[in-house]
Amino acid sequence: MLKYSLRRILGMIPMLILISIVVFTLAKLMPGDALSGEIDPTNTNPEYIENMREKLGYNDPYYKQYIRWITDFAQGDFGKSVRYKTKVSSIIAEKLPNTIFLGVASLVITYILAFIMGIYAGRKPYTLGDHAIGGFNYFGLAIPSFVAGVFAIYLFSFKLGWFPSNGSVDIMVQEGTLEYWLSRIHHVILPALVLGMLSTASYTQFLRNDIIENSRKDFVRTAKAKGTSQSKIYNVHILRNSIIPLVTFLGFDIVSIIGGAVITETIFTYPGIGQLFLTSVQARDYSVLMAITMMFSCLVLVGNLVADILYGIVDPRIRLE
Amino acid sequence: MNKKLWFLLVLLLSLVLALGACSSSSGDGDDKGKDDGKTEDTNKGDDGEAADGEPQEGGTLVYALDSAPDGVFNINFYGTATDAEVIGFFDDGLIKYDDELKPVPNIAEWETDDNKVFTFKFKEGVKWHNGEELTVDDWVFALETIAHPDYDASRYANVKNIEGAEAFHEGEADSISGLKVVNDYEIEITFDKARVNNLENLWTYPMSRKEFEGVEVADMSESEQVRTNPVGTGPFKVTKIVPGESIQFEAFEDYWQGKPHIDSIVLKVIDPSLVVEELRGGTLDMTAFHPSNYEEINALDNAEVLRAPGLSYYYVGFRLGSYDGKKATMDYEKYQNQDLRLAMAHAIDREAWIDEYFYGLGESLNRVVPSAHWIAADDADLENHFEFDPELAKQILEDAGYVDTDDDGFREDPDGNKFVVKFSHYATDNPDFEARAKALTQYWNDVGLETELEMTDSGLYYPLLEEGDDSMEVFFGGWSTGADPDPTALWQSDMVWNFPRWVDEENDQLMEDALDIEIVGTDQDKRKELYVEWQQNINEFIPMIPVAELEEVLAISSRLQNVTMDVSGTNSPHEWWIQQ
Repeated sequence: MLKYSLRRILGMIPMLILISIVVFTLAKLMPGDALSGEIDPTNTNPEYIENMREKLGYNDPYYKQYIRWITDFAQGDFGKSVRYKTKVSSIIAEKLPNTIFLGVASLVITYILAFIMGIYAGRKPYTLGDHAIGGFNYFGLAIPSFVAGVFAIYLFSFKLGWFPSNGSVDIMVQEGTLEYWLSRIHHVILPALVLGMLSTASYTQFLRNDIIENSRKDFVRTAKAKGTSQSKIYNVHILRNSIIPLVTFLGFDIVSIIGGAVITETIFTYPGIGQLFLTSVQARDYSVLMAITMMFSCLVLVGNLVADILYGIVDPRIRLE
Repeated sequence: MNKKLWFLLVLLLSLVLALGACSSSSGDGDDKGKDDGKTEDTNKGDDGEAADGEPQEGGTLVYALDSAPDGVFNINFYGTATDAEVIGFFDDGLIKYDDELKPVPNIAEWETDDNKVFTFKFKEGVKWHNGEELTVDDWVFALETIAHPDYDASRYANVKNIEGAEAFHEGEADSISGLKVVNDYEIEITFDKARVNNLENLWTYPMSRKEFEGVEVADMSESEQVRTNPVGTGPFKVTKIVPGESIQFEAFEDYWQGKPHIDSIVLKVIDPSLVVEELRGGTLDMTAFHPSNYEEINALDNAEVLRAPGLSYYYVGFRLGSYDGKKATMDYEKYQNQDLRLAMAHAIDREAWIDEYFYGLGESLNRVVPSAHWIAADDADLENHFEFDPELAKQILEDAGYVDTDDDGFREDPDGNKFVVKFSHYATDNPDFEARAKALTQYWNDVGLETELEMTDSGLYYPLLEEGDDSMEVFFGGWSTGADPDPTALWQSDMVWNFPRWVDEENDQLMEDALDIEIVGTDQDKRKELYVEWQQNINEFIPMIPVAELEEVLAISSRLQNVTMDVSGTNSPHEWWIQQ
């Protein structure tokens, strides 16, 4: 296992180098730069813009810019944002906790909902409840998150007034208190729900189908013949077997949550990495943009690795060599 | 295992319930708040009038920012309009501008005999939020910071005309020789030469020297003094910042114009698509908004809309020449015919277009200066008024030789070649842009000029114009003007932002004369005369068709009192108060 992990991690290095070239090329292919959006005669002047371009090295040949960027990047220096006028690492550090909080909240909600619905539907397949859950899930799979987000705001924030429509915390509460964390949870529920909707739906259906399939297996018949109670069969024998494939989804979830956060955070004006990514694209803030894209790419690679390793752990029949 | 699993499930379930309970309880709270708001509204008719004149103390104002601030909260360093909005609440300038955009004293008053040497006198007893008193030394500090070689924002142009600033900027001097501190409240500033607009161009915002003690200029824009703990001299001081999402202010007791009525202000980033609902729900007191929301907000009974003349205008420009990065040459033949440009102007129904796409919050204009500015020429002095008159447009085109020779329904150029107007408009995710650009092409099609529309990505649009790229022939654009009326940066022949690449000696000469102290002296009327002539020249030649000027709008909740707005912005927030 250790050998396998090490080999996979080493294998990531050429992959990351290739990704970095693609990321850099795509970023530079975008029309304009961070300064071209600033044309405003009342606030700036052409001389300053020209000076800044020279200072930032935008006028150098692309290969030089790439080498400079990748050398700094490898040493942990992500550069300075033109727009935010500060280190990229500190901007990301500012937003990352919010995104992690959102991601974890969304995972927790996903698991809770998927387990409750999946177990119910799996135990009582083809009943009214199962169909209702199935219908709800296909709805969740079909609606894109930007539509769901807007509807959720309209319904839960404006009509019912249950959740706030924007932000990550109420500024009026004191940091560190219980109230502060409740406020944060209160703010995160709606975006987390929307963000987790897609995976909730697929988890539930997956769990349901797996439970149904397992319930027809020989070991279940044996258990029934032994006289084991129905609930014990479902909750222990079947569920344990059905969870196995689910665990491996965790790796892919990390990826889909990060990707989904770009849209969800923007709709809910939730200040996280996703929102930062979108505004950086709009502002052509290369250094932030490239750092985030590289981070996403690393996460995808790591997520895949985690998924593969989890396979090996939960199912000893799979050998990772 | 069984028990453990159940325990876990129960735990999760109880967490869900607990969260659900907490959310519904705060929901009740919100509802109560709303109800209270309503009862207040109904009461207002009874005792509201009596209370109107008498400001009430206290309350919290909620203000919406339309996008996340970058966090550069210092007027000497900021780059985006959102950051400037935030800074406006906690910092004051030394001078301000009146409703014609003429400079008037604020913290400082000034005297000059020759427009070269200025003496500024500060008010005594003006306090920074950190308790220090504001002195002229803080201004010297700001100017030296901006002129410092390591300074990383765009204000140097506002300092470099001071005598000795250049040498300081190059690192050849330890101080700026043109700054002479007389005492704590008086400073003499000498410029490198007498100019008409030295004062308007000068950077008139101080920066607390005490606060930035020990911070290198290169590190300032990322220091905590700028990002998390900014100080100013304004009516409200920053108490807390949640990066990228909200900022909390409280009233500054020692504010030099008197203690503010409102206790605290919360600035929140709220997506523009949500502001109408927030206003309706009473959770928002003040916000700018998109013109398309105007009628909806106007119809709310708990909010009103403030309007003031704006400083930006939109135009349709014509490509007349090319640009090599240094020099413009007027060598692009296609739109050289003045009658063609005039006819295209007459073809547009600007009023209908503005009503349709700016929802009545704009007006057509005939010059490239917004009406509110003191140099704006009177319409009576301008030759062309570009009235909507398609018949006249057709007649002009006929006379100029643009006639349909091959019976395809569209006109050919005077030589009989196919003539297609290529019109460019910038594209963002705003669907209005394509619709309004299409509407313009339709007007030109209607008078027989075949027009093709190209929507260009907004990031690419202005760089293409700057380079004078061939693809930009007839282009839509917008400019905003500042207090200083000098239009050189946009109109001088060889300037990079002279997008039409219009080269005209008279135009250049008029702009130069208006700045020449020998010709204008300190006489503002004389200066205006020259600018009126300059506007007449443009109006006659039509290098661009001015299309619309926009109004500035602000929505405020009806509990907020004594907010006024003119072309220079709102009145100072310390005068606002909230009806309790």
